[in-house]
Amino acid sequence: MMNQTLHIRLRNVEGAVIRALGLIERRGYSLDNCTVSQAQGDDRRMEVGVRSSRPGDLLKRQLERLHDVLHVELLPVTANHKHNPHIRPLQGENK
Amino acid sequence: MVVITGQVPSALQGTDAFQEVDIFGITLPIVKHSYIVRNVRDIPQIVNEAFQLAEGGRPGPVLIDLPKDISAGMGEVVYTAPLPLPEMPQPDSHAIQAANEVLSQATRPLIIAGGGIAISDSVEIFRKFIARTKIPVTSTLKGLGVMPTDDPNFIGMLGMHGNGAANHAVQNCDVLMVVGARFDDRATGHLASFAQSARIIHLDIDAAEISKLRKADVAIVSELAPALEGIQLRDEVSTTWCGQCAGWKKEFAWRYDAPGEGIYAPRLLRDLTRAKTEGMTITCDVGQHQMWVAQHCSFDNPLDHLSSGGLGTMGYGLPAAIGAKVAKPQNTVVCVSGDGSIMMNIQELATLNRYKIDVKILLLDNSALGLVRQWQEIFFDGNYSEVHLDDNPDFAGVARAFGIQARSIRQPEAVHDAIHWLLNTEGAAMLHVAIDSMENVWPLVPPGKANHMMMKSVPLKEVKT
Repeated sequence: MMNQTLHIRLRNVEGAVIRALGLIERRGYSLDNCTVSQAQGDDRRMEVGVRSSRPGDLLKRQLERLHDVLHVELLPVTANHKHNPHIRPLQGENK
Repeated sequence: MVVITGQVPSALQGTDAFQEVDIFGITLPIVKHSYIVRNVRDIPQIVNEAFQLAEGGRPGPVLIDLPKDISAGMGEVVYTAPLPLPEMPQPDSHAIQAANEVLSQATRPLIIAGGGIAISDSVEIFRKFIARTKIPVTSTLKGLGVMPTDDPNFIGMLGMHGNGAANHAVQNCDVLMVVGARFDDRATGHLASFAQSARIIHLDIDAAEISKLRKADVAIVSELAPALEGIQLRDEVSTTWCGQCAGWKKEFAWRYDAPGEGIYAPRLLRDLTRAKTEGMTITCDVGQHQMWVAQHCSFDNPLDHLSSGGLGTMGYGLPAAIGAKVAKPQNTVVCVSGDGSIMMNIQELATLNRYKIDVKILLLDNSALGLVRQWQEIFFDGNYSEVHLDDNPDFAGVARAFGIQARSIRQPEAVHDAIHWLLNTEGAAMLHVAIDSMENVWPLVPPGKANHMMMKSVPLKEVKT
């Protein structure tokens, strides 16, 4: 189980945020936190913290397939990650 | 594919209006991209973009949801030219070099040909590559026809219902080059045991497929043609290994001397493709008949075999056949279906009749959802549930009611003439074939088992080269 943080730049269009968030959960990453804000120009910036036994770089490549996703940055695992103390790791997955 | 859906007027969206459904939301997980049109003047740009996205890179479905006030609305529209397809990624020279190095060290190289080869229109280039390198080839379900079925370098389809030769080759190879395929669980069996001693070279247009399921030792994310042209073998493939693959192919060749008095579907399907003339497309539905088509029909081209692979959608066969016939009217199009699958879209018989579309239907009727029944027999001690369809309608009668000619057979002696009748009758026709409801698809790699652990096949032999 690993915590990962991704910075995602999105087009400001209908469905873009839900499309990205839906993909994250569907692909087996649980969403710990998420903030969406206005970025440069008309774009949106999304910062997400995810947990999964699956690698973050695979999620990055899956997000990059989305037409509304303009750029994805995967922060190193050691980066300042906001851990949610209310979420206990699933049994057997905290290795 | 671009799908245009009608939506309630914009002002009523989100109010649970009559026939309102959030098709944009419902389809989010299954589209490559989707749009809701909010302004009449956006239509040309959205339509152009939709086609560009649907066709470009790794193709996929795009949906355009069109509220009624937009579709019926008037406004100034500037039509723009269709957008060019996006540039395809080109192979990285370091990756090509790495692939060449790995291949040059191989003593038992093998290729898995996937559906991506046909999608990227690279069949000829792939065949030239095989002619040049002589590497033995297996294929996925969607890769069937990339190599002609009778090509000496082609070993067969691998996986759950693949043949023994392909599964033994893949379990014994030391370098596995996967071309336009994605390590689907039906192809790999138990993933950790799949091609255990092989180094993997993975060629795909989609970066998200690389190391998704099996770590690639070399990844080439690129348009297929230049990648294949860049790969050069220093030495010829070991004749011992090629001989071993050829030996397996002989050892595991399909047998058609099945016991039983009824019609043996695999033999009938073999005879169907033997009887074919130039240009025959076979579409199938999903289930036992689909696996028998994959195993026993021969294909010269991947587009000759239209089958619902990853999604395994029952009901695909008849609409796919209609599409194939409309696209290539000169081809003979045969929809091989089952009694479970045909019922999913049987109303399309009306389409055949209405537009006089000359599709031939070969309906293999075992009065059961056969593949599910097979699993319940083998893995659930014959505890059958909801698989018996012995109250099926009279399918030939149903076809006739729709204005389609139909015949029904159940004796092996009738097969030869019936195939001739089906292929040579003018206009749409159905041949209904009653087969044994207890017939199974063999071999079978049980779920969670390695590919060499095939039921009704002989055990794996280690190869020393």
